[in-house]
Amino acid sequence: MIDLEERILEKKSFFNRLVFIYLLFGILFSILLYKTYSLQVSSFSDYEIASLKNRTREVLVQPTRGVIYDRKGNILVNNVPSYDLIIKPWKIENLDNFIEKISEIISLDKKEIDYIDENFNKKALYNRELTIKRNLTTDEIARFEVRNFRYPNAFIDVRYSRQNKYPYLFSHAIGYVGGVSNEQLNEILINQEKEQKETLFKYSGGFLIGKTGLENIYDKSLRGKFGKKSYEVDASGKFLEEIEFIKPKNGINLFTSLDLGAQKEAYNQMDNRRGAVVALELESGSIVTYLSTPSFSVNSIANGMSTSEFNSLLEDENKPFFDRAAQGRYSPASTIKPAIALYGIKEQLIDWEFSIDDPGYFILPEDQRVYRGWKEGGHGTINLSQAIIQSSNTYFFSLAYKSDINKLTNHLSDYGFGRNICSDCFNPDIGLLPSPEWKMNNLNFGWFKGDTVNLGVGQGYMSATPIQLAYYSAFLANKGIMNKLSFIKHENKKVDVSNSASKIQKTDWDKIHKSMIGVIEDPRGTAKRLKSLKSYVVAAKSGTVELVSTETKEDYKIIRENKGNRDHAIIIAFGPMPNPKYAVSVVIENGESGGSVAGPVAIAVLNKLITE
Amino acid sequence: MKKKLTFKRFSIYFDQYLFISITLLSVMGLFFLYSASQGDSSTIIKQSIFVVFGLALMFAMSQPDPDFYNTFSGIFLIVSLLLIFATIIFGKEINGAQRWLNLGFFTLQSSEIIKISLPIFISSYLCNKSLPISPKHTFITLILIGFIFILIARQPDLGTSLVVFMAGIYILFLAGLGWRFISISFGIFVLSLPFLWNNFLEPFQRQRIQTLFDPNADPYGTGWNITQSKIAIGSGGINGKGFQEGSQAHLDFLPETETDFIFAVIAEEFGFIGVCILLSIFFFILLRCLYLAFNARDRFCRLAIGGLSLVFASTLFINLSMVVGLIPVVGMPLPFVSKGGSSLLSFYIAFGIIISMATHKKLMQR
Repeated sequence: MIDLEERILEKKSFFNRLVFIYLLFGILFSILLYKTYSLQVSSFSDYEIASLKNRTREVLVQPTRGVIYDRKGNILVNNVPSYDLIIKPWKIENLDNFIEKISEIISLDKKEIDYIDENFNKKALYNRELTIKRNLTTDEIARFEVRNFRYPNAFIDVRYSRQNKYPYLFSHAIGYVGGVSNEQLNEILINQEKEQKETLFKYSGGFLIGKTGLENIYDKSLRGKFGKKSYEVDASGKFLEEIEFIKPKNGINLFTSLDLGAQKEAYNQMDNRRGAVVALELESGSIVTYLSTPSFSVNSIANGMSTSEFNSLLEDENKPFFDRAAQGRYSPASTIKPAIALYGIKEQLIDWEFSIDDPGYFILPEDQRVYRGWKEGGHGTINLSQAIIQSSNTYFFSLAYKSDINKLTNHLSDYGFGRNICSDCFNPDIGLLPSPEWKMNNLNFGWFKGDTVNLGVGQGYMSATPIQLAYYSAFLANKGIMNKLSFIKHENKKVDVSNSASKIQKTDWDKIHKSMIGVIEDPRGTAKRLKSLKSYVVAAKSGTVELVSTETKEDYKIIRENKGNRDHAIIIAFGPMPNPKYAVSVVIENGESGGSVAGPVAIAVLNKLITE
Repeated sequence: MKKKLTFKRFSIYFDQYLFISITLLSVMGLFFLYSASQGDSSTIIKQSIFVVFGLALMFAMSQPDPDFYNTFSGIFLIVSLLLIFATIIFGKEINGAQRWLNLGFFTLQSSEIIKISLPIFISSYLCNKSLPISPKHTFITLILIGFIFILIARQPDLGTSLVVFMAGIYILFLAGLGWRFISISFGIFVLSLPFLWNNFLEPFQRQRIQTLFDPNADPYGTGWNITQSKIAIGSGGINGKGFQEGSQAHLDFLPETETDFIFAVIAEEFGFIGVCILLSIFFFILLRCLYLAFNARDRFCRLAIGGLSLVFASTLFINLSMVVGLIPVVGMPLPFVSKGGSSLLSFYIAFGIIISMATHKKLMQR
């Protein structure tokens, strides 16, 4: 038994120790209260946001792409609706019963039923919709809509596909849309201050992006802005109810300067020959025709094409994917002559009356090398105007011989060669405007006088794209005033006149026009066969691109056995004169004659543009 | 005031402060549980039955004289141990833990019983030992505590085993354990921590401790519970989102809303104000126990009141600290509020015994 003294001692020790433990708990209590305070009061807003984020799920809503029109308001590319049957799996208790019931009015094949079986539970778990049949017929839609009260958990909704109404006409000009890579999508969404997440699609193809042509160049404005729907969700991610819906901003319609009629005409005229046609409206510098042939259907590309189909297009020797209008490199050949002539006038190397005696060839004094013209025996005594009309090589060889290559290169650059002259073309090539510097850097050779002589007739190293040739044609027609080309007609565009061509006298421009009219109208003109094809006056310059250099006509006959060795046919033209409205360039690969093969195509397109 | 209401034939032992505050807590608990269970009426009916039965049990347990508990403490402990062995042999497994014994009408978590009987037994064992407690008695007590701790920890039920362990240590300490012994064993404990970490803890327990220090390392995996719990508490703000308006609880982001994490539901729906009210009731109960311990009639009662009230306090603080993210996640209910049978009833029993110890007076003291 414990005595009294010890008992008092024991009691005191007990009190002290109990109080000690209570104090420890008191400290713990304070820490706890402080922790709760810091969660609930100090960091309240952080956690409020976290809780809000937790319980809401945002879903992106896809916008529809802008419609693309031609300059007369014809729809070129549209969004074509497809009506799809969609169900709400989380509200359907017995799937087999439902399928049986819906099959009474809309038949489902095995593949579709397998698809439903595979996805039903997953979608049901998270309250997501499930598309069970695409592309309903009008009959099916009607049968469903009159009985829709029997199917409260199913509905019909619209999904679109992107459709070019003229899939072969605008393959290269407008291009096509396709799937988007994850990185691209991320970038698009970041620009719209959104994140990649679940999306309600308006297109059955999912996310779309413009891959080529105008679909690519104007992708941003055509695309529109994603909207979003917010749902309340539980921890498993199940949608409970819609809280907010910010509608998507649909893409802006694109009104192009393209002309459907002229494009069709060009397409028919080209008849799948390899080549390109570009026509421009002079006043605005807008592109009205832009064709590269042969072409391909952009719709099959955009909406899914079999690998074998795709590969056969890819391996086609005519290269239908290749955009000849902006990427094909061709020597300008004789079409360059008006520009060379204006150089001679500007630099006062010659005047309009300056004549030479053309024996059919030019001998370079330095090394006695012979440069031949296209006509055996030559053109006789010939002045500048006739040299253009009859396309005398000798005249321009000798003029080029007198030229300073650097000055000439600068001059030709003003006419659109060797630079990008289009503001909204897809991946344009700038061709090649050769210079001594270029030759040294690329071929490791010094510039020969003979190179300048060749340049005088648009042969040799120089090359240009059909769109550059069209620009050049328009530049001549507009007498040295031209801005960058565009597929969109810009009103009140400020015109750039700061180039060296502005130093050329108006009378000289008139004389150039007159000479180019002579190419068709003069009995000796190289394109005189075109005269009867039109009811107005057209200025033109034809060209024939030599692919293989030959000494005589007999030699050419041998090499032309191989179709690929035949000369390319080129023409540039503008009209109606004297106040031209349109300029055009046509290239037909291995077409042999600029005047009689490329010429009719150019005239047909001008006819369409001028008379309709 | 402890009261002895004297009727003609018998006396009733009753402490109005504890009774009112515990009843208040239980009723509030029913409301919280209603929201936490998303308005599940069967849960509420079941819990109400437990509360009513528990209050009756508490009243009944406060009637016997403390000597009754003192005399039979050994038998209580043996019965509790038998129940634990029965659990080990016949117990039913839930979520990989074998803690429950099916009694037909009731699923008993046997470790909840020993949580009470062990402190009473140790109080009884130590109450007539002279000061300071001799090494022999200390070791006997420690071996008993250690044995029971391991039994429960292996179920596995780390939370309850810790509470049982702490309850034993509290009483040893309160009974007058020497300071030298305390400091030496504390040193050994700290030194053996790495050993315990490697050999004693289950992998999931280690994971939980690691999660505590960096819940963001894996917010959707092991850190999910604590991350969501903090969001629930934090988003409650000062005023709370309102009764049944807690999105964290109602959209299933919060785990175990009816049991271990019910405090997060309360904090989300009633805010800091609600938390303060709730905690002040708990605080009041603890202070009342302190007062009762000071005024207990003998050493046995003092030790038992102190020990049992500290079991209560430990459970409370382990639960709260876990929910706010101060300690790792361990299964531990919020007393009188969380849904549950055994744990709920065990606290009514504990407080019934506390009231008994506090209200019975020895005749010679009068």
